[in-house]
Amino acid sequence: MKISQMLYLYRRLYVQQLKAILEYNKDFYILMCSAALTQVLGFVFLWVIYDRIPDIQGWQFWEVTFMYAMIFLTEGAGSLFFEGSWRLGRLVNTGELDRYLLRPVPVVLQVFCTGIGINGLGNLLIGGVIIWQSLVHSPIHWTAGKAAILILLFVTAVIIRVSINLMGNSAAFWIRNAGNAFPLMVHNLSDLAKYPITLFPQAIRIFISTVLPYAFISFYPATYIFGKSGWSGWWLLAPVAAIGSAAAAYGVFRYGLSRYESTGN
Amino acid sequence: MTTAARLNKYRSIANRSLQNVMAYRNSYIINLLANSINLVAIFFLWQGIYGGREAVGGYSWDQMKTYLLVTFLANSVLSWYSETAISGKILDGSVAMDLLKPIDFQTARFAETLGASLLEGAMSTVLLIVFATFLTGVTFPHSPIVYLLFAVSLLCAVVVKFGVVYLAALLCFWSTGSLGIVWTRIALTNLLSGALVPLAFFPDWLEKLALLLPFQAIIHTPTMIFLQQADTWESLRLIGIQLFWGAGLWMAGKAMWNWAVRQVTIHGG
Repeated sequence: MKISQMLYLYRRLYVQQLKAILEYNKDFYILMCSAALTQVLGFVFLWVIYDRIPDIQGWQFWEVTFMYAMIFLTEGAGSLFFEGSWRLGRLVNTGELDRYLLRPVPVVLQVFCTGIGINGLGNLLIGGVIIWQSLVHSPIHWTAGKAAILILLFVTAVIIRVSINLMGNSAAFWIRNAGNAFPLMVHNLSDLAKYPITLFPQAIRIFISTVLPYAFISFYPATYIFGKSGWSGWWLLAPVAAIGSAAAAYGVFRYGLSRYESTGN
Repeated sequence: MTTAARLNKYRSIANRSLQNVMAYRNSYIINLLANSINLVAIFFLWQGIYGGREAVGGYSWDQMKTYLLVTFLANSVLSWYSETAISGKILDGSVAMDLLKPIDFQTARFAETLGASLLEGAMSTVLLIVFATFLTGVTFPHSPIVYLLFAVSLLCAVVVKFGVVYLAALLCFWSTGSLGIVWTRIALTNLLSGALVPLAFFPDWLEKLALLLPFQAIIHTPTMIFLQQADTWESLRLIGIQLFWGAGLWMAGKAMWNWAVRQVTIHGG
């Protein structure tokens, strides 16, 4: 199937979901505000700490908030456009996935469009504001190239995030349980990338740079943008991490799908 | 009905909820592990903050380590399970069945919470002992009175937290989803209870405000007692404040319930 066809289908499926949530608009606002509030309070936490101390091992306030906000921003993009991966567990457990298999549309595309996490809008908004403020308050020498690389790093960050989510949720093919505990744990590991990875022991650094490359969402982009000495050039691995995690996620999903045997009644 | 019979009823509810957690222990253990990831992240963040510094905000690094562990314990004693169970009942309409039963909804939910808390508390304590053996310099109090006061304040913290959770859950009578309400409650509680950062770190006005609200009874009070930042009399006074909030929130919950059930619309015929 051609990319343009995929995009068209994605848009059509997405709009249908959008209609469904707009039906319950009170929830819509509560979710959006709560996500925004959660992020703002985390920001307050950092602000309260930096009010007492000038830096954390050489990391300035706005550099840490940038990393912090990148984690939320990508989460926001993930929930707003690819929330469906979080419904995979239910689809498998109830056997609803059968329906998807019958349609001549890529299954992964249908899964992605199974829902919209409107909370993502709150995360995108606040995350965007914090990132914008971080960039404004830091002495960055802007060039066109730097801006272009920044955009590239945003894209790779979202790809990494969405891929890891899909991979974590694909566990539903193996774990026969209605809960989301495992993918939530994988998701929670991103907490480690909210702060400079230099704070962590070697093992954790390697783990969040390779196995679950969350560090390429926040830390490595930050080292590039704020020109941290000792880390130059590392950001070049971000596209590699993005392609790698996307391929791995798709592979795991396909493999899980091949094991899918529906529910018996 | 005699008091004994009445208590028996709620004890069996508590027991059932304990067994429920046992039945889904895998999910629960994964959940606990997931929460400990956050503890690890926060721990190393604080370690970085204290790198080369003697004290920050009046806390030494050793005290802060203890603070983090106690906070983790107080937080996991009443976690996700009780949170979603109450709102879930309201959202899927099974609350209608509870209206028919000759038991008080609030007390029954509290009994459930206590039952689950018992197990959650025990498991978190085990996890904490593991953490504590790997850490050096965690300051344990010596006097048994402190441990007694701490245990009492932890129990009171559960009562206060239940009050907050219950009120938040009842809001689901007016909404169609619980997630947003739960997130908002968690975010507010975490900040204002001292779970993220000790209240002493706050700017003056925010600290004063936080001390006036019920949230501080959940984390701030137990940690004050465990770190011996409050002497015995001060501890008793703090526990008194916890009891005040516990009772106040309980009555608020009762009032809100009485009002909410009259507005109830249950899905289906």
